[in-house]
Amino acid sequence: MTVTRREMLATTAAALAAPLVTPGAAKAPQAASVAPKFFTAPEFALLDELSELIIPTDEHSPGARAAGVAAYIDGRMAESLEPDWQASWRAGLAAVDGLSRERHGKPFLEATPDQRVALLTELAAQDGFFRELKSWTVRGYYTSKIGIHVDQEYKGNVYQRGEFAGYDAT
Amino acid sequence: MTLVRVAPPLSQDVDLSKTYDAVIVGSGAAGGMAAHVLTSRGLKVLMLEAGKKLPIEQELRSMQWPYDHPRRGDAPPGSHHLSFNEYTIRKPPYAKGAAFKHVYSYVGGWSGSDYVKNILVDEKDHPYTGTNYAWVRARCLGGKTNIWGRLALRLSDYDFKAKSHDGYGEDWPISYADVEPYYDKVDLYLGISGVKENLPHLPDSQFQRPSKLNFGEVKLRQSLKKTGQVLTPYRAGVTTDGLKHNRYRSKCYGRGACDRRPGGCDIHAVFDSPTGLIYPAMDTGNLTVRPNSIAHEVLVDKNTGRARGVAFLDSATRKSYEAKAKVVILAASTLESARLLLLSRSPQHPNGLGNSSGHVGHNFCEHVMGPGVTGLIKELVGKPHTLDDGRPGGFYIPRFRNLKDRQPGFIRGYGYEGNSGHSMFPAHVMDTPGFGGPFKKAVRDHAGAFISMGAFGEVLPRYESHVDLDPAVKDAWGIPVLRFHYQFSDNERKMAEDMVATGREMLEAAGIEVVGTDDKVLTEGWSIHELGTARMGNDPKTSVLNQFQQSHDVPNLLVVDGSSHVSASCQNPTWTIMALAWRSCEHLADEFRKGNV
Repeated sequence: MTVTRREMLATTAAALAAPLVTPGAAKAPQAASVAPKFFTAPEFALLDELSELIIPTDEHSPGARAAGVAAYIDGRMAESLEPDWQASWRAGLAAVDGLSRERHGKPFLEATPDQRVALLTELAAQDGFFRELKSWTVRGYYTSKIGIHVDQEYKGNVYQRGEFAGYDAT
Repeated sequence: MTLVRVAPPLSQDVDLSKTYDAVIVGSGAAGGMAAHVLTSRGLKVLMLEAGKKLPIEQELRSMQWPYDHPRRGDAPPGSHHLSFNEYTIRKPPYAKGAAFKHVYSYVGGWSGSDYVKNILVDEKDHPYTGTNYAWVRARCLGGKTNIWGRLALRLSDYDFKAKSHDGYGEDWPISYADVEPYYDKVDLYLGISGVKENLPHLPDSQFQRPSKLNFGEVKLRQSLKKTGQVLTPYRAGVTTDGLKHNRYRSKCYGRGACDRRPGGCDIHAVFDSPTGLIYPAMDTGNLTVRPNSIAHEVLVDKNTGRARGVAFLDSATRKSYEAKAKVVILAASTLESARLLLLSRSPQHPNGLGNSSGHVGHNFCEHVMGPGVTGLIKELVGKPHTLDDGRPGGFYIPRFRNLKDRQPGFIRGYGYEGNSGHSMFPAHVMDTPGFGGPFKKAVRDHAGAFISMGAFGEVLPRYESHVDLDPAVKDAWGIPVLRFHYQFSDNERKMAEDMVATGREMLEAAGIEVVGTDDKVLTEGWSIHELGTARMGNDPKTSVLNQFQQSHDVPNLLVVDGSSHVSASCQNPTWTIMALAWRSCEHLADEFRKGNV
């Protein structure tokens, strides 16, 4: 069964309407309606915002928040048997807040949208936790319904009739 | 759409008190083909498979969307796959001391590893020692044919008579004319898709409808044509028109996403040994299959030195059994068949069975891979996404080196496998810098605009490239394991440099911007094309098998898998393995009827 882009946009209209644009959105992160399994509520809210900053909602498709990327990462963390990996994520998120306090005297989620982008730009240049964060955000997003069907408009994984796509080479 | 699926034949009671006409060890491409040919000629055959008979459609779940899987296709926690770094820095046995519950070869690291966790062996139970080697093994009915890459190519006399061409190694004891009728039989029985190109070095098959090329691939094909080179649609071991004689397999419906996980086609449009060969052979009433049967010795008659059967362990109960047969056929894979021969020591065969030449385990060869290029097709950036992966593969550029020319740095050649266009997961995403709106748009605009190709090159067989038995280390069933003495040499390294440089030239000549090159030669074994170790030949002093894959020393012993290959060529081996097995088993059946075996 394929979900068309139109259908997906309809089901995620609420997600499209609310977040990011208004300054109030960050103070009431809406994705954490279900309690996280691994992260604390503040950690989860931070992760949710970071994922949305990496893959934001735009005019074409909803972003990482609507695609539930933070919940996906949280689920993988919760069932992981690798304490080092779990600890590196806790430390990574703490370091994001730490850097925010250092630069702006307040935690990341209380910084202004411009300050957040500046902080993430700084982190992106360091190639440490950011790469891990981006890698899992990307995996979560582009394997989600929104990522595959709405953003990428992927057309495969269906039974086709007749000849398949492409050009006759000969 | 619903496909009518025919259930596999029921599992059978195995009567080990009787003497079968033939016992086959292994159920992959070679074992399946041996079973097909012998049972269709009326021989009573027992097949031993070390692994389980899996409910394969439930394992593969080919059309499951990533988001319908709790870990988006990844294997459960506690599973670990070996990385290139581990294969490089550490020495086998790679799973030794690992804290993980299960350790798998690198294939388990591909996205979608959950679908192959029961197909691949757990490295913890199946150690090996010696030099670095990425040994990928599948223990289950059908073996690696359940997840193979589908590229189905023929060899030519540039391969069979390679020594006559450049002086290195040995010629095969057969020529293309000997094998051609059997390639035809394999094509017609199993189905293959492709386009005729009339190349002397890559003979055409009896093709069904080909898959098509997309924009970037046509662009490259047309550019290569100007210099007399060829890019042809992927020659896939896939039935695109359907097979009226096989009720277990569907034709290909272009569902695509064939490469998003480690292979596997749950409607069996792709050839796999169980639905293509074994189930139809069971339907003749002449084939009995016993899974969970780990063969550890070929038994010989004390008086005659001839093979009389196979000793095996039941993997579940660990009980020992003997299967008796007039002919023993090994098809356990290049390395496992060599291991079995070396394990089968007896007073008549002190160096292992069929090893009077001392060549068992030697002349081990394969394909070197890793080097490749990626290009960006500018015309496609920002264009609407098209359906490009509704096909079993992209393209193949056949060998062009050392056919008429003589390269200064290396002998033999390589071909490229490649792909262009849109796929389910935008593969270039981690190479796209930054984050935010521009990042997201760049990923979207560039998805489908890349073309990538990677080379597979011939590794020369060398006597010193070999495996033997480790004197100390044993597997989970107490059976001595293989020890590797095998490394790439200068010829492979020089060839690898040429793969990158030439790939770059090809893309640039086509007006495609090169955005990435891979210079890295992957660990030995990575191609999963291991060959040699019991080569054919006319001289019993320098070869293990004759031209019908029959042991020079033990006439009622055949080895019908890739271990019989004299050289690796650069073409993927599966179709040749099956053509040779067909030829040998037809000869065996004739001799059997005449009472000569």
